[in-house]
Amino acid sequence: MTGPGAPVPEPAADLTSRVTAFVARLRVRHGFLVGPGEAADALRAAGVVNVLRKAELRDALRAVLIAGPEQRRVFDLEFNAFFVRDDQAPPPTLPPLLPQTEAPGIEQDTPPLPQNREEGKPSPKPAPPTDDEGEEDGDPQTLQAQPLGEGEDGPDDPDAPLQTVQTKLSPNASGGGEVEAGGGDLPDLLRAASALVRAVSLGRSRRLRPQARGNKLDARRTLRAAARTAGDPTELRWLGRPRRAPRFLLLLDGSRSMGRDATLLLRFAHALHLRSRRVEVYAFSTGLTRLTPLLRHAPLGQPLHLPDLGEAWGGGTRIGENLLKLARQERDRVSRDTLVIILSDGLDTGHMGELERAMRDLHRRAGGVVWLSPLAATPNYQPVQRAIKAALPFLDALLPAGGVDDLHALAGRLRRVTLG
Amino acid sequence: MSAATPAPSDLQTLFRERGYVAGEALATSLRLVVALGKPLLLEGPAGVGKTEAAKTLALALNTRLIRLQCYEGLDAQAALFEWNYARQLLHLRAAELGGHAVGDDELYGEKFLLARPLLQAIREDASPVLLIDEVDRADDAFEAFLLELLAEWQITVPELGTLHARSRPHVILTSNRSRELSDALRRRCLYHWVEYPTARQELEIVHARLPGMNEALARQVTAAVQTLRALPLGKPPGVAETLDWAAALVSLHRDHLDMGAIESTLGAVLKLREDQLLAAPTLQQLANKATEHLSGERAAAERP
Repeated sequence: MTGPGAPVPEPAADLTSRVTAFVARLRVRHGFLVGPGEAADALRAAGVVNVLRKAELRDALRAVLIAGPEQRRVFDLEFNAFFVRDDQAPPPTLPPLLPQTEAPGIEQDTPPLPQNREEGKPSPKPAPPTDDEGEEDGDPQTLQAQPLGEGEDGPDDPDAPLQTVQTKLSPNASGGGEVEAGGGDLPDLLRAASALVRAVSLGRSRRLRPQARGNKLDARRTLRAAARTAGDPTELRWLGRPRRAPRFLLLLDGSRSMGRDATLLLRFAHALHLRSRRVEVYAFSTGLTRLTPLLRHAPLGQPLHLPDLGEAWGGGTRIGENLLKLARQERDRVSRDTLVIILSDGLDTGHMGELERAMRDLHRRAGGVVWLSPLAATPNYQPVQRAIKAALPFLDALLPAGGVDDLHALAGRLRRVTLG
Repeated sequence: MSAATPAPSDLQTLFRERGYVAGEALATSLRLVVALGKPLLLEGPAGVGKTEAAKTLALALNTRLIRLQCYEGLDAQAALFEWNYARQLLHLRAAELGGHAVGDDELYGEKFLLARPLLQAIREDASPVLLIDEVDRADDAFEAFLLELLAEWQITVPELGTLHARSRPHVILTSNRSRELSDALRRRCLYHWVEYPTARQELEIVHARLPGMNEALARQVTAAVQTLRALPLGKPPGVAETLDWAAALVSLHRDHLDMGAIESTLGAVLKLREDQLLAAPTLQQLANKATEHLSGERAAAERP
């Protein structure tokens, strides 16, 4: 890999074809929304900067070709792969961000390698489940039959083997891998999602907006209307406080303990995303990943297929840490118009202090916080999991999510909850 | 390369002279705004200097800054133009009393037109910097309206006809990602993610903004802020908070960061009670280190 400022050896004439091929590669392999217009802009940008300085060329092309922070890492790696110096071996081919699609006229010469992680390192293998991992890998039914005491689902168990504790705490204790969430239940889930969108009511906005009927006279619009009648205010205009249109922020637990529930809830999140533009979806396990761009570009009518989610899927559960990360990085996404929905079984290996801080923060800033738990669908469920116990004071509702039926019933159950 | 377009290094210098320390990537993006005539979308955490970048660009290019602050419910009317109805009515009444008729051309003329930021921007003779701040707070409808304006740079006032931009503005949009912007808007813009500055850059910013500040105190403040950002805070401090904190300490005539100084000025840097409690032990450690360092320096200075 070349350092910043290293010269790019290709002659200028070749740069045009390389930039064009680079744009095509970003589009085909990674789903960047870049076409001929962006390619032309990229060439113009390359003409503005000093192309002999690699860092400058990279900054210029990056400004033109990426549309969000999620694309930056892929862009940088692909840029380094494309504009590598002649005396260096090319870096390994990156796996595509999106499922690879056939594009006529564009050569697909490099089959994707097995899922690589940062800088081409091989993906760490998921830690094999052990019998000692407490709730993480436990059977929900068994857990229900034998409620756990304080601390049994955490890493603080003094009797737990050291290796198990290290595995739980390690950020690399994640399974990762591509996510297949196929299922023919999309129509059912879409109906449930539509009902949910209709059911959520977060009260009225504090901002006065022009309305046909209201409780405050809109002097400006009344005057404006009066201009048509030579200044006589024959039509009165009103201001009112409209109902707040809800935004949804879904946090999906993708840890191993969620099992098949995770893919069902992922499909539900996708359905909700299809029903409303005001939906943000994140997945977490040991790490946190924003899924919204991936869901937006998922092809309709096909089973949901997501690329490697890394630490956000198939590992241990760190709810508090990831909620805090969300509160920090995406703070502005949570407002009084937001209904936060946490989809998790609450089997956590993180610190409860962090979870409490995050929940308090979300509770204070969001219009409502609802926790959907697959475990809550089991008969005689008791919220004894440490994470659920820590979160309960800050929840507007703890509701079951054990299957499609529960998701259908969600709208009705939420109507009985006072939010906002 | 256009002679009128400042090179990135020049732009960096121009920015630095005006108290803004811009990285190479940001300087390149800003230069492309000028060279390609495309809007630039700046995203990043609150307080990293997105708005300030637009203000500084206007200063660096020696042109006018026109700012449109977006909010929920902002409509095209409020962003483009309005007729001064009250003044039109007064004019009508005065004309009636004077006994002469008022025609449409007179009533809907420039005299009664209130130009809002977008109309002001396209009527400027020299390309202004148009800052569309916090575009994510505006509604989808307004975002869609912006698409047309950003593509064509013309607007239609029914009574006046279509107005074309006299000179294309340099447009900077900022977003705090409170909602997702449409792909259509993103595709029309260049994009740059503004990160928190490194410790070295932040020290340079403090020096640039508060030139008379004690060197040791500036180092302690920037080091403390960098340490605070590594904590799991609900609202990590931005560059604006660093500068506020430094200015508060300067106004209290402090020469180092002891616990008394921290306690009296903590509200300038940490704006949540929970964050203040979480950071208290870390700040105590930083204050102890600073005090020890200062004592050591003073003892060394007093030695013959």
